[in-house]
Amino acid sequence: MTARSDGLQRFLLGLVGIGLFLGMWQVIGVYRLAGLTWPPLTDVLVFVADPSKRTLFARAITASFIAVVTGYGIGVIAGIALAMLGRVATVLKPGLDRLIAVIHAIPLVALAPLFMVAANRDSTPASIAALGVFYMIYVATTSGLNAASAAHRDVFTALGASPVTRFLRLELPAALPDIVSGMKLAIPVAFIGAIVGEWFGASRGLGLLMVSAMQNFQIPLLWSAVLIVTASSLALFGLMSLVERLTYGRYQ
Amino acid sequence: MTVPAIRLDHVGKSFALDGGKQFTALSDIDLSIGKGEFVALLGPSGCGKSTILRLVAALEAPSTGKVSIEGADPQALSRSHRLGVAFQDHALLPWLDVRANVALPFQVAGKKVDSARVAELIRLVGLSGFEKARPRQLSGGMRQRASIARALALQPEVLLLDEPFGALDAVTRRQMNVELQRIWSAQRITTLLVTHSVDEALFLADRVIVMSGRPGRIIRDITVPFERPRKPSVMRDPAFHQLVDELTLALEPEGEAE
Ligand SMILES: Nc1ncnc2c1ncn2[C@@H]1O[C@H](COP(=O)(O)OP(=O)(O)OP(=O)(O)O)[C@@H](O)[C@H]1O
Ligand SMILES: [Mg+2]
Repeated sequence: MTARSDGLQRFLLGLVGIGLFLGMWQVIGVYRLAGLTWPPLTDVLVFVADPSKRTLFARAITASFIAVVTGYGIGVIAGIALAMLGRVATVLKPGLDRLIAVIHAIPLVALAPLFMVAANRDSTPASIAALGVFYMIYVATTSGLNAASAAHRDVFTALGASPVTRFLRLELPAALPDIVSGMKLAIPVAFIGAIVGEWFGASRGLGLLMVSAMQNFQIPLLWSAVLIVTASSLALFGLMSLVERLTYGRYQ
Repeated sequence: MTVPAIRLDHVGKSFALDGGKQFTALSDIDLSIGKGEFVALLGPSGCGKSTILRLVAALEAPSTGKVSIEGADPQALSRSHRLGVAFQDHALLPWLDVRANVALPFQVAGKKVDSARVAELIRLVGLSGFEKARPRQLSGGMRQRASIARALALQPEVLLLDEPFGALDAVTRRQMNVELQRIWSAQRITTLLVTHSVDEALFLADRVIVMSGRPGRIIRDITVPFERPRKPSVMRDPAFHQLVDELTLALEPEGEAE
């Protein structure tokens, strides 16, 4: 009962926060407090909803979403798979950890030009997204696979569990909360990766739209693209937060 | 004499503490438990009772001496799925409901889950109606009972129970004691029970071992004379009272000195 009203209160406070933010955006825009490059929220919304822009946005959104989804999917699968490999083939683990840390230490942006020349330019956004997501998921899964408590490990030892049984029935379920948390945090990473990849000259997408709007001083277009990216990323992040709550309720 | 079911041959156990010091938890424990025997371990908190159970379960290795089960390495027992353990902190898996937790030993052993046996065990420990509840939805005592059911699932040859009834009220505890005696009588599982209750030890066990702490060692080994099956009324027997007094005295700090 109180837990529920607590949750409701948090939700309402969250709504108030978002409302305040949007209100300030509008006020700053209407009174030109931040100069001409800051349009009011309503102008941006009108621009996004303008039927004549529909095909432009639809094309860009489709391209960016395919990049985000592909990069995210590949990153998640590869991250979980390699973390599991490190768990099963323990000889590989230290090497794997080091290699992945080194890859992560290189700024993704610095790798983008390499992708452009090495791979197809249109696969650069998804590749950069995948690399960022992969690192997060690898780290989350690796720590998750260590999350089972000592008491639970003892139960499996006393029951005479084989390594495979222990992995499937203990370590993997115990890792789920960490994996899902990683998947939540990886959502903005996938968006950043895809947008940055598109800046480097993909042939379509919201990132490309941003760059060309900036260069041509199309302020409402620029803001519209930013708004669409931010709103989608936040919405998916919120969805994953919900999944995360369910997982924690069940697996911890 | 035949090979004892459980043998602790002059076993000592010390733990490395932070800072490189050694802490001696057990010193020179010499204990033989016969096949089908029910032995209760009594002793003050921290005297090493759980450590003895962990040594028998092969979850710890002795620092000195040797632990063997039916003459073999204790690991052989757990590896062949013939060991049942109910730990002090129940250790149920939070993502499984009661039924799945009790069925876990079957799956770990790669055996087909015997649903009838699982249901029967859940009924025996008084958890009928809670099959679908998750551990977090149960009280401490209910979790303990679920963990006892799990320990019994595969009809183990050796049963280790670490304060299994600690969180129960007196009435439920009595009921559980009666049930446990019934199960034990039917199957004659070699059982090692840790408890803080002198009554419980005397009611259930063939032998009561009293330990003292720092370092943990055995100070008494008493054979319980009462006929089986024992009814709760045995607790009103004057001989029972006399043993309770004797053991209670042995457990008191002055009792060690004599
Ligand atoms: N892994 C460990 N590392 C260091 N010390 C330990 C470890 N396990 C147990 N000990 C120490 O060994 C001693 C005996 O512990 P044990 O858990 O066996 O006591 P116990 O008799 O079961 O106590 P209680 O009745 O409170 O459960 C304690 O002093 C404890 O601090
Ligand atoms: Mg203990």
